[in-house]
Amino acid sequence: MSQLRVLRVVERAHGILSSRDADAPDVAQVNEAHRSLRPEEVSKAVSACDRRDFLSMSACSLATALLAACNSRGPDEAEKVLRFAERQNEVVERWLLRHTAMNHARGRIAGSAFPMYFISKTLPVWDTATRGPWMLDVSGLVDRPMRFTLEDLVRLPARRQRVDHFCVEGWNAVAEWWGVRVSELARVVGVRAEAKYVDFRSFDSNFHESWDLESATHPQTIVAYAKDGKFLPPPYGAPARLHSPIKLGYKNTKYLTNVVFMAKRNGGYWSDQGYEWYGGT
Amino acid sequence: MTDTARGEDGGTLGEETASSTALRPPLPKTATDDKPHKSNARHHWIVRVTHWAFAGAFVIMVGSGLQIFNAYPRFALKGGTFCCYPFEGKSIPGWLTFGGWLAGARNWHFAAMWVLVLTGIVYLSFIYLHGEWRDLVPRRGDIRDAWEMLKFYLFVRRDHPRQGKHNALQKTSYFVMPIVAAIIVLSGLAIWKPVTLGWLTAVFGGYVWARYWHFVSMIILVLLALVHVFMVFAVDPYSIRSMITGGYNERNSPEARNARPFYHLLPRWSRRSRAARASQAVEAEGL
Repeated sequence: MSQLRVLRVVERAHGILSSRDADAPDVAQVNEAHRSLRPEEVSKAVSACDRRDFLSMSACSLATALLAACNSRGPDEAEKVLRFAERQNEVVERWLLRHTAMNHARGRIAGSAFPMYFISKTLPVWDTATRGPWMLDVSGLVDRPMRFTLEDLVRLPARRQRVDHFCVEGWNAVAEWWGVRVSELARVVGVRAEAKYVDFRSFDSNFHESWDLESATHPQTIVAYAKDGKFLPPPYGAPARLHSPIKLGYKNTKYLTNVVFMAKRNGGYWSDQGYEWYGGT
Repeated sequence: MTDTARGEDGGTLGEETASSTALRPPLPKTATDDKPHKSNARHHWIVRVTHWAFAGAFVIMVGSGLQIFNAYPRFALKGGTFCCYPFEGKSIPGWLTFGGWLAGARNWHFAAMWVLVLTGIVYLSFIYLHGEWRDLVPRRGDIRDAWEMLKFYLFVRRDHPRQGKHNALQKTSYFVMPIVAAIIVLSGLAIWKPVTLGWLTAVFGGYVWARYWHFVSMIILVLLALVHVFMVFAVDPYSIRSMITGGYNERNSPEARNARPFYHLLPRWSRRSRAARASQAVEAEGL
């Protein structure tokens, strides 16, 4: 039905034409014409834009706006929402964390297939000639700040664990680690009640990552000095490194030099670049 | 509903439906029967909102998930091999990914997952409390009905099988989709928290297998969604409106139109049923 006819029928039905037209339409005919109209046709005749037009136009403009705002990283405006979601996720993750939840590695030991990783341009090696003997410095909000040599660490109660290493990239690798629990170190130095975070620093450039105290004192979080029955070789973080299956690989500082107990978190090498600060498993 | 009312759109359609309804019991009475021009809400607004929110979140989840997958596009444990993935080491094409880089994709993935899970929970709770689940749960006879639908689509059967809100094939896929989605969510949790939710990871057979089931169930849901979108455009484009405004005119249902895929795009003459063409041929001979 053409727009024109619709208009004419509507006008006629409303009696607009009757005064001007010599032959006034007979009532039955008007009623008949009106009945054959669909309600949406009447509304189309009255307003220029019906609901369907409105919806399709809004859908098109919304799609265009979305496309315009999008690149492969998504709209920049989403950054705030993503940060909010990360904070909420951290609440859930911390709520989920239990010191009784332990990792039991399945599968065989990766051995030399275990990826080696550092951020410096060359393999970081502790040079005793220039830097003196390596020592692990445990400080911050503690009663007795202490420095441990490798021999000191080996003399402390050792924990041996065969666990998964979960990488942020999606792979996992099994290794057997020897080391000292961070909770044991915390006990020895006497961590104060106000300490809520722990920073693990390294001599691999400026690499460091801070942890929540609960994860750091998990029974499977250790300062490891041996892997698969041998003292750590330089590619795997010699002389000692942090290792725990309860955090993603990038949170596990290698080439460890400092353990600092803190009241506030101070980010980390990867966390500052956009990876989740919590990075728990 | 009378035959003339159903065939108002065109003479050929009228002929066809008139001839086919004569052989079949009348269509069930619906609210539209008395007012043939008024459409009633087919999907509750909660269903419509959760449908589109889930669709949007799912697209983001798939894109960012594939970007994350590209950081390690294989399933093997380090130092091991994997039996059951033929494309180990092959990256997903960039145009299918979203998030730009690993951290960006992870941030999107772990934000959109809440939209996905919450809309899923709202939808399932709603259809449970509101009774819509009755349109979706499998019943005895569904297999036969699905077979009849297949026969109809393959031109073995002439008339569209009788159906309720959905045909048997739709019913099955709409029932399977939430189950696959639940597997995706659970295996995703198993990957996200393989230690704190270690028991869940163990249910899926460990971290490597949890990743694998997450990927496989995602592929299944993507395929179901693609078929769903294809069939919407090919068989029942009127249902797009029913998922936006809720309105749906039963006169346009695939059953009323006897619609096979792309039926509405075919030229009119080819839409006519064999019976209608035969009767016209008889008329022509008579003249």
